[in-house]
Amino acid sequence: MFKVKEGDLDKMGLLFERHHRALYSFFVQMLRQGEQSKDLVQTVFFKMLKSRHTFTGSGPFVTWMYHIARNVLRDHHREVKRKGVHTYLADEMQQDLVGGVLADERIEKKQELQALAMAMDQLNGQDRELLILCRYQELKYSEIAHLLHITEGAVKVRVFRALNQLREHYLKVSTEKNCA
Amino acid sequence: MKSNYDKENEQLWNLMGEVPAPEAPAGMRPDFDAMLDNYKASLREKPRRLHAFLQRLKDLWHIQPRLQLGYGIALVLLAFGIGYITHRSFSGNNEQISQLSKQMQEMRNMMTLSLLENPSASERMRAVEYVNEAKKVDHKVAEALLTTLNNDPNVNVRLITLEALANLAVDPFVREGLVQSIVQQESPLVQSALADVMVKLQEKRSVKPLQKLLHKEDTNEAIKNKIQQSLLKLS
Repeated sequence: MFKVKEGDLDKMGLLFERHHRALYSFFVQMLRQGEQSKDLVQTVFFKMLKSRHTFTGSGPFVTWMYHIARNVLRDHHREVKRKGVHTYLADEMQQDLVGGVLADERIEKKQELQALAMAMDQLNGQDRELLILCRYQELKYSEIAHLLHITEGAVKVRVFRALNQLREHYLKVSTEKNCA
Repeated sequence: MKSNYDKENEQLWNLMGEVPAPEAPAGMRPDFDAMLDNYKASLREKPRRLHAFLQRLKDLWHIQPRLQLGYGIALVLLAFGIGYITHRSFSGNNEQISQLSKQMQEMRNMMTLSLLENPSASERMRAVEYVNEAKKVDHKVAEALLTTLNNDPNVNVRLITLEALANLAVDPFVREGLVQSIVQQESPLVQSALADVMVKLQEKRSVKPLQKLLHKEDTNEAIKNKIQQSLLKLS
């Protein structure tokens, strides 16, 4: 990123190669919207280009990138709220989530994953974001702490609480599915 | 030993790890490249715009000093021009003024001469006043004034004439006239005034006429004392 900051903009291509999948995944997990997520990834890279001078290197690059990604996501939510467009598409979510799972895999696992996805959606935004960053994006506690401007201990406590919440929702969803 | 909750949490954590990461669509890289190219192009455009703006500023900077310099030079030239013209007209004026004052002087002299012959004493006094205003008088006027001093029937006129002549005493002719006038005066007032003037002018030649006046029988006693004092001052 320092090279990009110094003016070697082509190096941004390298960063794109390294991180665009993770970012795309983050947006899809957060939005459940493939097409929008694609655009948002581009937006994040564009913003990184524009605000490359603000990158100080005081924290990891990933933290800086997710900081911008979260801002982009917040802007997106605001835009959606303003325009009144509902981006939550359950079908797409299902498709995106289980798209990689082969048809001949066990149906049970598929159901578990579906229940997990539904439980995730029932979490509040903060908890969901935290779990996505921590588990799906595999950010370190220290990186999340830096990103959210809280201590590492606080991150651990929040993750634990969020996981407890998720478990409750998951159990509820699983029970409902089994009863159905 | 782990509680049920912990176990369930761990299972859930593991299950989350099995969630397949959404596959990024294939067309993202070309989109990114296009975006990057656009951005780079806009960056190239920006300095050009900035450069153009700066160039315009520079041009303005170039134009302004030129204008200022031109304005300054024009002002200096104008000042020279005005100075030259006014100086010329002023020197011309000077000539005119000197001519005019010369004419005035002549007129004043004529007026003095004619007024001195006026029967009215006040008019003759006015003529003497004219002389007082002039710094220099010509020979004719000086002569006329001396005649007035010696012959005018009015004492006041003679006194005022004496005063005027005392101011013109630089002229040797006037000085001589004043000295000779001493013996001709009969009025004690004029005699006294003449004695004063002689002391003031420190005119040694006046000693003889004053002594003559002193020895004159009909001279006033008070004037005699005065003359004696004057003679003491002159010696």
